[in-house]
Amino acid sequence: MTAATTFNEREAESCYVARLIEDGRTYWVAGGGGPMYAVLLAQRIGYAPNAQYITEDGAIAPEPMLPFDPIQTMVSSRAGYRALQWGTMNTAQDYAALGLIDYGILNTLQVDTHGNINSTFLGEYPDAGRRFGGPGGADSIAAMAWRTILMTDQQRRKFVNRVDFISSPGFLDGTEGAREEAGLPAGTGPWRVVTPAAMYDYTEDRQLRLIAVSAWTTVDEVLSECEHRPIVADEVAVLDPPTDEELTIYRTELDVRGQTSDRGKWIVFNGEKYEPMEDEA
Amino acid sequence: MNERGVEYLTPDPDVFRAYSRDHKQRRLVSKLMSEQDAVATFIDDGDYLVYDCNYLQRGPASLVREIIRQQKRDLWVGAKFTYVALALLVQAGCASRADVGYFGSRGPVFTRAIKEGRLKFYEYSNAGMTLRLRAGAQGASFIQNRSLGGTDGFRYSGACTIEDPFTGRPTVVLPALYPDVAIIHVQEADIYGNARVYGTGIAHTEAAMAAKKVIISTERLVDTAEIRQNPALTSIPWLAVDAVVLAPYGAYPGSCQGAYAVDAEHTMEVFAAMAQDRIGEYLEKWVYSVSDHADMLERRIGANQLIGLRNREIIREGYAS
Repeated sequence: MTAATTFNEREAESCYVARLIEDGRTYWVAGGGGPMYAVLLAQRIGYAPNAQYITEDGAIAPEPMLPFDPIQTMVSSRAGYRALQWGTMNTAQDYAALGLIDYGILNTLQVDTHGNINSTFLGEYPDAGRRFGGPGGADSIAAMAWRTILMTDQQRRKFVNRVDFISSPGFLDGTEGAREEAGLPAGTGPWRVVTPAAMYDYTEDRQLRLIAVSAWTTVDEVLSECEHRPIVADEVAVLDPPTDEELTIYRTELDVRGQTSDRGKWIVFNGEKYEPMEDEA
Repeated sequence: MNERGVEYLTPDPDVFRAYSRDHKQRRLVSKLMSEQDAVATFIDDGDYLVYDCNYLQRGPASLVREIIRQQKRDLWVGAKFTYVALALLVQAGCASRADVGYFGSRGPVFTRAIKEGRLKFYEYSNAGMTLRLRAGAQGASFIQNRSLGGTDGFRYSGACTIEDPFTGRPTVVLPALYPDVAIIHVQEADIYGNARVYGTGIAHTEAAMAAKKVIISTERLVDTAEIRQNPALTSIPWLAVDAVVLAPYGAYPGSCQGAYAVDAEHTMEVFAAMAQDRIGEYLEKWVYSVSDHADMLERRIGANQLIGLRNREIIREGYAS
């Protein structure tokens, strides 16, 4: 494996998630894009050749024919290609309800320290602010997958103390047993939060904890992009940058249209260290 | 209306049973009709409407356009797994309430309609909505749901938390959904309404069974003899269906698995219309200025482009008999 010298921070984020994928486990990936690419990358590079994924429309363990047309990440022949089973949305929800889904991977608009997710409303519900599309399948994933991996941006306005509206559940108010009291399955909840700049886990008492940062940033820089300061692990690791091998698969087999990298900063290695490229004026 | 002031469609299985007894046609009679007749006959102002899939993925797009063309009013929409259709229905003044799973929210149309009091949202999730349909499809009045609990969506839904009578633990239950009308696009159906859906989907069978009135649009008509040769493929039975509309390219601009690809350019056109607050122009071009689906295909798209979409759908495995 060779460390890459030029890549987009969102490519890096997907590589971080791919390295979390566990072989022989099941994943419910939300909405195509980053979450699905992470599982496919882990399969194809050999980190987790027997990881399987499902999507919300009941595509069970497909071997998708990439790339997809815009929006065609579900209920399309390419997305459902060579699946082991074709079902419907209730099929997917049943898999999760039955405890068959080990991990869920979600892209989120706004997430808080308890791992609660907002995809419904920014501002004061229902009419003072901006309306968004709702939880979609994320509520089922966040509620019922054994562990949830959240992908989001490292920005103060997205990484907040308390979300404006809980669309999909994290640890709710953070108290012990809050999820079970709300009727959610026992033993489930957020497991990792991954951003282009950092990775977090949760302590045993469900507190968000910074455990690693990207090679081109610092703990202080990351904390300055959190509205609420998380717990910082005693030793914060530096995440290995993407490798050439990862990026080759990612760019030539998965995100071949660059849909991930059309947003976000580019990172370059200047011979000594990794640096974000300044935006062109 | 529940104690939190949230409105939901009251489920009453016995009312539905009586409706089924009196209105669902048991005999095999042809239900083939035009899209105009189907929509005029079976969709009323104020109806609770569900459509399966959406405007860009094997959805009943031609029927959605006909609803808009006929200026139906005050529809309550089951807005799960949908990007575009809800925006079109709201802009056209057809929809005034929506139970949300997920909808495409770009552009100002929704925020404006909420502010002006023309639109009310109630909050569920995609699977919350399909579970409600499952409850309806099994003749129940509610269904247990292991998600939704603890969210803010819960507070603005018809759900409630009860003590599970068997485990003693708290659990969320959702009201069953018995929509007034379901519109569903399928790859194959016979004239009686025996229909086949190929590939993954959202909740076509549940929607068809739980709805009082059901309109099927189909890519192609098949003989009933063919249905009888492989009954395992029947996704929706004739008993549930009120109208069958022959609609080749009925999912256009969306894809229809195994039949044709999405029109990617049109996808961008309708997204841009949403983002730039120009849905009115979009509707003028694609809905109001054409007389029906066939007219739209002929005058706005043309045979070359339609053949191109068919050729771009290269996967045939698992689709069509």
